Amino acid sequence: MADIRIEGLHRRFGAVEAVDDVSLHIRHGELFTLLGPSGCGKTTLLRMVAGFTDPDQGSIHVGDRRIDRLPPHRRDTGMVFQNYAIFPNLTVAGNVAYGLKARRVPPPEIARRVAAALGLVVLDDHGERWPHQLSGGQLQRVALARALVIEPEVLLLDEPLSNLDARLRVEMRGEIRRLQQSLGITAIYVTHDQEEALAISDRVAVMRAGRLEQVGTPTEIYHRPATPFAAQFVGTVNLLQGTVVAREGARVRLRIEDQLLLVPAMVAPGSGLSIALRPENLRLLTPDAPCPEGWGSLSARIERVEFLGPLTRLEIAAGRLTLHVATTETVDMVRQGDAVTLAYDPARITVFAPP
Amino acid sequence: MRALGVRSAFPFGVTLIAFILLALFLIYPLAQVLVASLLDPTGTTLTFANYGRVLGIAFYRAGLINSLTLGAGAAAISVVVGVPMAFCLARLPIVGRNWLLAIAALPLVLPSFVGAYAWVMLLGRSGIVTQALASVGLPSLSIYGMPGLTLVFALHSFPYVLLPTVAAFKAIDQSMEEASLNLGATRIATFWRVQLPIALPAVLAGALLVFVETIENFGVPFLLAEDRPILAVQAYKLFVGEVGANPASAGVLSMLLVFCTVAALLVQRRYLARRRFSTAARSQPPELVVGAAGRIGATVYCWGMVLLALVPFAVVVVISFMPFRGPVLHPGFTIDNFIVLIDRASRPLLNTLGLASAATLAATLVGLPIGYVLVRYRSALAGILDSLSMTPLAVAGTVLGIGFVLAFNAGWLVLTGGWLVLAIVYAVRKLPFNVRAASAILHQIEPSLEEASINLGVSPARTFVQLTLPLMIGGVVGGMVLTWVAIVSELSATIVLYSGPWATMTIVMFQALEGGSPGVASAAATVLIAVTLVPLLLVYRLLRRHELSLT
Ligand SMILES: Nc1ncnc2c1ncn2[C@@H]1O[C@H](COP(=O)(O)OP(=O)(O)O)[C@@H](O)[C@H]1O
Ligand SMILES: [Mg+2]
Repeated sequence: MADIRIEGLHRRFGAVEAVDDVSLHIRHGELFTLLGPSGCGKTTLLRMVAGFTDPDQGSIHVGDRRIDRLPPHRRDTGMVFQNYAIFPNLTVAGNVAYGLKARRVPPPEIARRVAAALGLVVLDDHGERWPHQLSGGQLQRVALARALVIEPEVLLLDEPLSNLDARLRVEMRGEIRRLQQSLGITAIYVTHDQEEALAISDRVAVMRAGRLEQVGTPTEIYHRPATPFAAQFVGTVNLLQGTVVAREGARVRLRIEDQLLLVPAMVAPGSGLSIALRPENLRLLTPDAPCPEGWGSLSARIERVEFLGPLTRLEIAAGRLTLHVATTETVDMVRQGDAVTLAYDPARITVFAPP
Repeated sequence: MRALGVRSAFPFGVTLIAFILLALFLIYPLAQVLVASLLDPTGTTLTFANYGRVLGIAFYRAGLINSLTLGAGAAAISVVVGVPMAFCLARLPIVGRNWLLAIAALPLVLPSFVGAYAWVMLLGRSGIVTQALASVGLPSLSIYGMPGLTLVFALHSFPYVLLPTVAAFKAIDQSMEEASLNLGATRIATFWRVQLPIALPAVLAGALLVFVETIENFGVPFLLAEDRPILAVQAYKLFVGEVGANPASAGVLSMLLVFCTVAALLVQRRYLARRRFSTAARSQPPELVVGAAGRIGATVYCWGMVLLALVPFAVVVVISFMPFRGPVLHPGFTIDNFIVLIDRASRPLLNTLGLASAATLAATLVGLPIGYVLVRYRSALAGILDSLSMTPLAVAGTVLGIGFVLAFNAGWLVLTGGWLVLAIVYAVRKLPFNVRAASAILHQIEPSLEEASINLGVSPARTFVQLTLPLMIGGVVGGMVLTWVAIVSELSATIVLYSGPWATMTIVMFQALEGGSPGVASAAATVLIAVTLVPLLLVYRLLRRHELSLT
């Protein structure tokens, strides 16, 4: 069982706590993503697992094996580097065979496994090519084959797609996911791209300034963000702050700017609250349409329209409050300047504990 | 220590050994020179009186002023010649540009005093051109004295300005000049206000190198200065002392020389290094469109300057196959000069080849690990090591030679009189180049390559042998050849340190010049040119590929 158990991990660079008390349990066969803005410590955390950065405190276990004291070449992790790190002095096959030679695998078996690995990444006929003859996407595949061929217990990927163009990124992330699942390998995947993280992960850890902000499945992170930061970092969101003016059973009325919103919370009037509301959870009603049962509504005006193809993004002003709204309505039905009614299901509002 | 995640003894060991070697073979000799300059005549008390005494003598003051003037003059001419040429080579359709760029660095590697000698053969008292002019009744141009010296130095070292400036002009992104033109500036205004300022740090860095090389140089002024005092020559003469050695005064002059070079290099490090603009052009600026006249003019100018710097060497080679009677050259073909040379100098030739090889090996074995540690294990200690290993740049060969004599002539470690002392001095002098070359190569090798190898299960030590070294080898071999070639033409430290059987080819040539055997001198010069050029041609491709700078 190659589950990864990280306990109380710390690493400081000068005054910066690059990784600050991180504990994680990554399950066997899981694709686990570290997501966060640049500089939040994702790489440092990954490199501590690989052994290229020494932790100041804490422990890392893979299965029953404690690895944080092992030198990096004995950790049996397969790493895919951001810039691929393909050896320029070796052919594609030479690159893929590199780790097998280090393990003193007999030559006939090396040949067989290299061929199989290249087949896995759909580079069957490219073994004799030199790295400089390959495109970025192909280099990425070589890097992946080279890491996978040694059948590591753990696969580590540090922003593996950031040097590819947008279309290729989408294609390659699907392939990485397919390979990871078919091999059943435990993987830690680092990215700052939230869409990538949501698309391929079993679970995601949102990081901020060296600490874990939230750990959960993509849907949990998206629909039930634990903190305003997590809500804002994953997807677009309306983050609002207001004061409770009245309590109504399991709900409160929250004053935000000059508007009142219905929010599922049980706190006393006078308290401050932060809430998050996804743009797609705000619905546009034509002036005469009825508001669904139990929903709240606001009178508003369309300020800006951005047509994005499958959906349209709107900026809508309700009094002094500006809200982002996403709708699948065709663009002809929403025009700048139109008066509309905005309806929302209070159950879809995320309420954060006061800081 | 963290870079590879290994708490390794390697960087510590390298640093320690490097410090010991540099302390012994650089700091200790220099300290001896300093002490010599401070000792009073009784040899017991330290005093600054020597400085006052030496600087009170007009002859020595003139030496200092002449040296500084020469350095500044050569640097200024190099800039005036080199910058327009760099712009032409970077941006204009020069005919045969690649050939020109390939040979433009040659003046730097060919021995400077051989070049000076060539100018004497052309424009000296009985020079070919002088005599030709005299025969048609024209006054001759004098190559002796300050103007001649300045010109010879500028021709020798203008590539120090030219080469980095070409690179700087090429690295200015096209959008810069487009933005300037778009905002309404003319091409000329764009050059003065945008392109030149961006390239300026590279220009000035090159100019400072010209300055330092010029004031350190011993051979050229020895040949051309006649009776005008020049610091490096005065220090040598005072130390060797035909009329009685004077280590105190020699020490003072040496220290003055060191102060000047250190000051120049500190300006370079502290001031210029920080003002380098990061210049990775995303789109290289295109060739400018000029008319036929512009193209011809630029081509003639560029080729003219480089050939002017190189033709004297060719002349020397030709002359070495012609008969001399006394100092006078006669038309004809002969190999007598070489027969005489082989007769006198086969041992020195072997000395040169052997010493250069030994010193190159030593400089590489020490410089390569230092370069590796500096690039891969950055730390405060590494910073000190960096500065220390660059220090030989600031020490004239004459001064280091004097230091070695003072330090290792007697006492607990005696080295003078043998070959080893020469090999060590050469290795120390070329250490900065070797460290730089190694770091330059390593900077081109992504650390993630080494990490990938370790991650795949190869230990750090084996990764170095099996991956890093093969990736570096081309650059290392290129650097070794450049080191070897530079050592072959070393004169300034050799002249102070050599002893009878360990004379080198440069010494043979030097003595032949002093002893009035121009035939032997020209043959020796030809041999030196050949020994310099042949290895360079052999590894030419390697040098281009790794773009080793020749500095
Ligand atoms: N080798 C290092 N030396 C000093 N600071 C570092 C080093 N590596 C990372 N850091 C710092 O640690 C923090 C986290 O860096 P990193 O793990 O690379 O972030 P991420 O991969 O999330 O962008 C940053 O503030 C970064 O500047
Ligand atoms: Mg990173």
